[in-house]
Amino acid sequence: MAALCFLAPNLLGFLVFTAFPVVFSLGMSFTNWSLKPTVVTRFVGLRNYVDLFSDRHFWFYLYNTVYFMLGIPIGIAGSLLLAIFLSQPLTVASSRSRFVLGGAMGCMGLLAVLFLVIAGRVELALWVGILFSATLVGILTGKVGFRTLFYLPNFTAGVAVFLLWMQLYNPHFGLINGMLSRILHVLGMGHVELPAWLSSTRSLLGFLPLPESFNCTGVGLGAREAIMIMGIWLGVGGNDMLLYLAGLSNIPLELYESAQIDGAGVWARFCHITWPQLAPTTFFIVVMSTIGGLQGGFEMARVMTEGGPAGTTTTLSYYIYTVGFERLDMGYASSISWFLFLIILGLTLINWKFGNRYVGIS
Amino acid sequence: MSVSRDKSDLSSKASHWHLRKRQIGQLALFVAMVSLACLALVPFVWMVCASVKPHSEVEALHFWPRNPQPANYLVVLRQRDDPHLERKLDLHFGKWYFNSFFVSSWVTMLTVWTSSMAAFAFSRIPWPGRDKVFLMYLATMMVPGLVLMIPNYQIMVSLKLVNTYQGLILPGAFSAFGTFLLRQFMLTIPMSLDEAAEIDGASHFRTFVEVVLPLARPGLITLAIFCFLGNYRSFFWPLVMIKDDWLRTLPIGMLSFNSSYGQQTELVMAATVMCVLPLVVLFVILQKQLVRGIQLGAVKG
Repeated sequence: MAALCFLAPNLLGFLVFTAFPVVFSLGMSFTNWSLKPTVVTRFVGLRNYVDLFSDRHFWFYLYNTVYFMLGIPIGIAGSLLLAIFLSQPLTVASSRSRFVLGGAMGCMGLLAVLFLVIAGRVELALWVGILFSATLVGILTGKVGFRTLFYLPNFTAGVAVFLLWMQLYNPHFGLINGMLSRILHVLGMGHVELPAWLSSTRSLLGFLPLPESFNCTGVGLGAREAIMIMGIWLGVGGNDMLLYLAGLSNIPLELYESAQIDGAGVWARFCHITWPQLAPTTFFIVVMSTIGGLQGGFEMARVMTEGGPAGTTTTLSYYIYTVGFERLDMGYASSISWFLFLIILGLTLINWKFGNRYVGIS
Repeated sequence: MSVSRDKSDLSSKASHWHLRKRQIGQLALFVAMVSLACLALVPFVWMVCASVKPHSEVEALHFWPRNPQPANYLVVLRQRDDPHLERKLDLHFGKWYFNSFFVSSWVTMLTVWTSSMAAFAFSRIPWPGRDKVFLMYLATMMVPGLVLMIPNYQIMVSLKLVNTYQGLILPGAFSAFGTFLLRQFMLTIPMSLDEAAEIDGASHFRTFVEVVLPLARPGLITLAIFCFLGNYRSFFWPLVMIKDDWLRTLPIGMLSFNSSYGQQTELVMAATVMCVLPLVVLFVILQKQLVRGIQLGAVKG
């Protein structure tokens, strides 16, 4: 009885807002349920699911979703690299000389910036200022400071940061194309056409013989790459990096010491100690990113591109939103979301089966 | 470095070389980290610079505005007239701020309350069928959030809570994940403490409040941080739930801001800075707990 008193508030909410909706949406995926007042809801059997298979939009958006997920391995590799960097002993200065060195660097930076401002090179002063501040943070706070800076993009992720990146990707006055054109000028390739980013339907896999409904217009950097690059910038220093850091700190140091005595190099130590020891962490990250990736892309699509150009950035989650809340076809939307769930479930089971074996061996 | 110096079996020359090599390695590592940190920072610097540019300079490639115009912030906050429209903006940025904090705080308080009670029932009180019910909780954590959104919207329509604060707060207040997290945390607290309290004649409620809750504090803080952040950023649910500008939270407010005033990049960026700033402050304050929480969640989950 006592247990029920403790459980009641949560259980009530759980039944109303989680358990009932699960059952309800599964049931409704077999109907033509619509929010349009003229449509009478009736049972249609498996028709929604059959329609799904012949819905060429669905396959296109599934392809987009999977395409975005190609960024996951890059992100994981980056996170691992950052975590390895952060786990190295970093003794720039002993704790005593740290403040002396930091103070000296701070004064130097301040002087340099002041000098450049007086000389009228405000732009250069800004860059020097950024560089000196990052160095100063590194000297004064060491690894904690770097970890904070790496984690910041992930922490602030959201609509505001997406709006910021929309500006950075502006083909004419955005930061990214500005940088690219400067670099290309220096390399003497000023005539090379700059990518149009969010308004381009090109992709790096544009050479694949895809169906015409997939709206591919050739090889290049397009909206999908833009979102992928932003995703990597957001995610690489995020939770995965922290998980790898925790994993790295759990590896016994004796393993490295004995390997060093045996004369193993950096690469050999990574292959035979670090990577196998981190296998459980990697496994966890892969499972979670797969689940997240298949459901992802909604916010970016809604905020940055509205799914376009020509549907190239529409992921399944955005498709469910448009079908359900714009076309008001809730039954069909439910069936897509359940189909997505089946894909997630299947992939997770596969991950589990093969991953466990891999983790078990090492 | 002192270790390699102590090794007497190495010749002094070899040891010197070793030291040099390590110093170079350290320097290279430091330089790599500084450049990566700059890469993480530059977009934010651009954002701040763009937010104080006058409209005529927004499309220029230079970072630093020639004629800084901090009044952009006042325009966004409706303290000044918009120089183009020559009247105040139609959107209520300040109110979105309040809404975001208000909704996130309520959801966090309710979630911590309901989840800790449920976690207590799942971890400290034996009752028939306990593990089966818990398994049901776990099973629903597998279901994608999207599957739940559509029926939840229908429930809100039936309860006539669309376009209200309650509609935003209620569905978030009962978290299976939170219950799971706290249950795992409470399992690490020794049961003997409960038994001792019971012998002293304490009720379940007193044991909960005076023994378990204080010891579960790190878990509660972790859940509170996750929950607050998740709701501060929450996008899908407010997007379908809220129709009035007056009730918008920051993320969907920003979306409407961009669609109404997207041409005035400097204003969008000023609003963006104000959106991101509380997060940066929160992060600097809470980062120790947050890092521990994320690492804890993975080890246990």
